[in-house]
Amino acid sequence: MINYIKSENYRLLRKKSLYMTSVICCLLIVVAAAVLYYTHQQDPNFPYATSMFLYSNVISGTLLIMIVGLLFNSALTGKDASLIKQSVSFGVSRNTVFWSKLILTLSYFLLICVIGLILTITLGETLLASEGQSVKNFLIASSNMVPIVLSGFFMIHALKMLKVSEVYIIIMFLFIFIFSGDLLYMLFDYTPSTLLNENLMSFVNNSAHFDYRHWVTGIVISVISLLIGAKRFAKQNID
Amino acid sequence: MDSIIQTYQLTKTFKNEEIIEPLDFTLRKGEICALIGKNGAGKSTFFKMLAGQLMPTTGDIQLFGKSGKKIGKSKKRMGFMIETPEFFPDFTATQNLEYFRIQRGVTEKKRIYEVLQIVDLANQKKKRFKDYSMGMKQRLGIALCLLSSPDCLVLDEPINGLDAEGIMEIRKLLLKLNQEKQITILVSSHILTELQLLATRFVFLKNGVIVDDLSKQTLDEKSKKQIHLKVDDVAKAARLLEQGYADIQYKILPDHLITIQNHVEEGGEINRLLIDNEVFVMEFRMEALNLEEYFLGLVEGNEK
Repeated sequence: MINYIKSENYRLLRKKSLYMTSVICCLLIVVAAAVLYYTHQQDPNFPYATSMFLYSNVISGTLLIMIVGLLFNSALTGKDASLIKQSVSFGVSRNTVFWSKLILTLSYFLLICVIGLILTITLGETLLASEGQSVKNFLIASSNMVPIVLSGFFMIHALKMLKVSEVYIIIMFLFIFIFSGDLLYMLFDYTPSTLLNENLMSFVNNSAHFDYRHWVTGIVISVISLLIGAKRFAKQNID
Repeated sequence: MDSIIQTYQLTKTFKNEEIIEPLDFTLRKGEICALIGKNGAGKSTFFKMLAGQLMPTTGDIQLFGKSGKKIGKSKKRMGFMIETPEFFPDFTATQNLEYFRIQRGVTEKKRIYEVLQIVDLANQKKKRFKDYSMGMKQRLGIALCLLSSPDCLVLDEPINGLDAEGIMEIRKLLLKLNQEKQITILVSSHILTELQLLATRFVFLKNGVIVDDLSKQTLDEKSKKQIHLKVDDVAKAARLLEQGYADIQYKILPDHLITIQNHVEEGGEINRLLIDNEVFVMEFRMEALNLEEYFLGLVEGNEK
């Protein structure tokens, strides 16, 4: 497994898409902060040049973060996946392939998330007006997002490994992470869309708090995605 | 232990269609075994099952005496090239092989240069894979097979897309690997004349079933001669042949032609039988077969 992870790392580090996605993510954060800062410079009454406003955009951008996750995952499970057959022929088990690719893409994804978080806080606290507990609230709200974002990442990985087309992945995503609150009345309090909306609202109202429901939902989606993904991939023909 | 690959009652079914029927096959150490069959005969499916790319529906595969979960270790002693070799198109030959070198735990980096030299790509090592010709891609595929110094190679259509010179080079290379490094080889190709120059054993596959399995020596003997007849009444001649020789193997061709594969030594008697029964024999000759003709005789035509 270690050898497989090392070889995939060798490949990933030579993929332009990895660097481009990372740079674009950081640039978006910098541009957002810069626009708020310069607008405030032009108009001192501009009310949104606050760290709170910048952070709230991150909290509301869960879907955007998941799309970044999709791009990261595509780097290792996209069209180059046809090379898996060479690895399997050499005796690398399908389980090793499934979990190694997950570990590696997840590591880079988490790294870029941490860099993005640090960048956001640094820009928010240096360029924009900071309000009391905003950093603390932002970190609490972000920690609530983590399980939901990760569950989305795991779901993307499982679906990509099973060669599900990106159109279907996006449709499933819209259903689970955007419309689930409206469609699944029975589970309303635990659907990702409801939880993400509540998280944003409590952050905006300065009442961000740790919410275990995010972890329950995140863990359930993650376990189901990974179990089904790994089990089906282990029996999948690799052509 | 002499057997490198062994399959027991191996089958593969796709959508209720049996592509491979219960198949027992053994590849022995030191052989160059040619697997021969038409498109759709099940060659690639069989290779893919050996490589682990396809799961058998039923049956068992043993590689170097290991099966089940232990088979992974045995695969490290093998090199597979199934259909077109796949590489990262934007990577150079060196980068592609480096990726697999790391993955396969080959410690010495110089092994990459060694295998590129073996397949005569050392001068093209900095060229990107997508800029390679078909022949170069095939040779890089063989280089990948050799990367971890295997004891056995399984090559599906390794000379596909190569020019005459390239085909000869690959043949020489495979013979050299077999003779000098004792690498056992299982190979398939549609260029049967080439396989005849290369293989020491010939296995014929038809609709997922092994229909013949011959050593080179037996093939040479079997394909030594066949009788070509041109007669006025083909149906009558066929009836007489069946009556006269219970185990006769013949094929009816257009233009009143019949070819007889066995009882070649009794050509005179066959001729007399037909003439005595008022079948006009317009042409009678004996000819040697090549592998291609033997194969066609085996899988096509109106065989008895």
